[in-house]
Amino acid sequence: MKDLREKLKGKIIDIVQPREKRIYIRVEPKKAPEVIEYLFFKYKCKFCTATGMDIREGIEIIYHLAREDKNMVINVKTLVPYPNLEIKSIGKKIPAFRWVEREINEMLGVTFIGHPDMRRLLLADSFPKGKYPLRKDFKHSDVNDEDYDYERSGI
Amino acid sequence: MKLLFYYLIFPGFIFACVIGLLTVWLDRKVSARVQWRQGPPWYQGFADIGKLLYKEVIIPEEAFGSGFIAAPLFGLASVTLAVTILCVSFFNMSEGFIGDIIVVWYLFAIPAIALIYMGSTSGNPLSSVGVSREIKLLLSYDLPMIIIIVMIASKAGGFSIRAIMDWQRINGSNISNWYGVIAFVVAISCTQAKLGRVPFDLAEAETELGSGILLELSGGVLAAYELSKAIMLFGLPIFLIILFWGKGIIGGVLMYLFIVVLLILIKNTNPRVRIDHAMKYFWGWMSGAAILAGLLAHFGV
Amino acid sequence: MGVLKKAFKKSIWVFHLSTAACNNCDIEVLELLTPRYDVERFGIKLVGSPRHADALLVCGSVNAHAKPRLLEVYRQTPKPCLVVAFGSCGCSSGIFRDSYSIVGPVDKVLREEDPDVKIVYIPGCPPKPEAMIEGIIMGLGAI
Repeated sequence: MKDLREKLKGKIIDIVQPREKRIYIRVEPKKAPEVIEYLFFKYKCKFCTATGMDIREGIEIIYHLAREDKNMVINVKTLVPYPNLEIKSIGKKIPAFRWVEREINEMLGVTFIGHPDMRRLLLADSFPKGKYPLRKDFKHSDVNDEDYDYERSGI
Repeated sequence: MKLLFYYLIFPGFIFACVIGLLTVWLDRKVSARVQWRQGPPWYQGFADIGKLLYKEVIIPEEAFGSGFIAAPLFGLASVTLAVTILCVSFFNMSEGFIGDIIVVWYLFAIPAIALIYMGSTSGNPLSSVGVSREIKLLLSYDLPMIIIIVMIASKAGGFSIRAIMDWQRINGSNISNWYGVIAFVVAISCTQAKLGRVPFDLAEAETELGSGILLELSGGVLAAYELSKAIMLFGLPIFLIILFWGKGIIGGVLMYLFIVVLLILIKNTNPRVRIDHAMKYFWGWMSGAAILAGLLAHFGV
Repeated sequence: MGVLKKAFKKSIWVFHLSTAACNNCDIEVLELLTPRYDVERFGIKLVGSPRHADALLVCGSVNAHAKPRLLEVYRQTPKPCLVVAFGSCGCSSGIFRDSYSIVGPVDKVLREEDPDVKIVYIPGCPPKPEAMIEGIIMGLGAI
């Protein structure tokens, strides 16, 4: 962990290692692409998945990367604040990140700038735009039957 | 007037329908028993046809309307004619004509051509896959069967059903010789392919192509197709009895049941084959066996 | 016409359609064809195309993806036909009732297309095979 702390000095907020095989790195949204590209290309990490959660200040996105030869998991946390939910897309350079960024975009409403193929992944095409199901203030009664637009469903 | 009676009532349409639908019931019952199940009751074939006549017929937009409905009726009419010609000679009701065995075999091929026409005009891409498979299959199983028919007819000295049956009454059945046994095996495979049953039911593969060629048929059109299949299930074993056994009605019933049960058991124990396997099987092994049978017949074994 | 209607009750051909199901009900349908609960003795068989079908067996609660497709398959089935809403998800969306992707149970979706569609409800998660056979016989009695 010491070498990571040296290399990424100016770009991260802090880095902790609570257990032997876990490292948590907290970054700002502007620096997240550089840190992840460093870890992916130079530090020989593999990409597992990315998760998003709606907390009061914004949306916290955690990228989970793994380092197989040392049996370590590295989590990179960023907080994308309300009201402008924008972050630079990593899927532009690394194709593995593209699908999970599409899912975070349609379920939580985060815009990924520069993503090459922003379409719906899991939600139906007829689901109304502008409603994000996995936010905390989304209720079932927000979407009525009339809002579904079946013309877009491709039949 | 007598011809109309033969064609429509006995041994033509009504008689062939009844016996054919009972044979279809026998098929489902034996298959069920082999799998340790009960099977459907004896009127199941009739109930299926009655139900199909009760439903509406849907014609898809891209299909040619009149050809779509006319093709299965045409197949039904020709297969009824084939069975009439066969049974009239088999039951000793009148004289046949020279060449009627070839006419019967090719009248039995018309339902397959009607099926190809239906599949092509229905406008569905899955049907066209079934059509290409059916055309290849039609070309494959014709060759060994023609070799066998020519061999048996030339041995009997005449290309008519009467001549073949009379020759066998005098000289003993064809199946009691070695060439007859080999030819019977080849003929059973060709019959199974002509009836469109497993292992050769590629054209109407149910789970693979969503019923293939038959995808767009519904209501009365499907009833005509099922009836023509039932009549073929009655007519083709009688064709085989004439070629290989030659006796009349008494031994014929037992032989008929034997051939039908043989076809059912082959259906239940085999998987479906691919089209290139089927073509290699018919043009390679079965044609070779038919030529071998022809050589044995020539030398009188 | 009476004879043909009697014939209709003696041979029902079923097309199985799965809309956003967890696949448990789909596996249970296969059980009916096994030797213990053999339904072929009633004349019922599974067919591969909706054009040949007399009964549509709809498993699962209906998704926004599946709704236009379910309506299209219903239109392609020649009438008269019977619809079987299979399992708790088919009858009333089950535990997925307040989810963001479920558009409604089967009867709500089909009644938009045809208000007098005949539906048989078979509850259970998954239904027992005895319940399935009883439901089908009850449906045949109501035609």
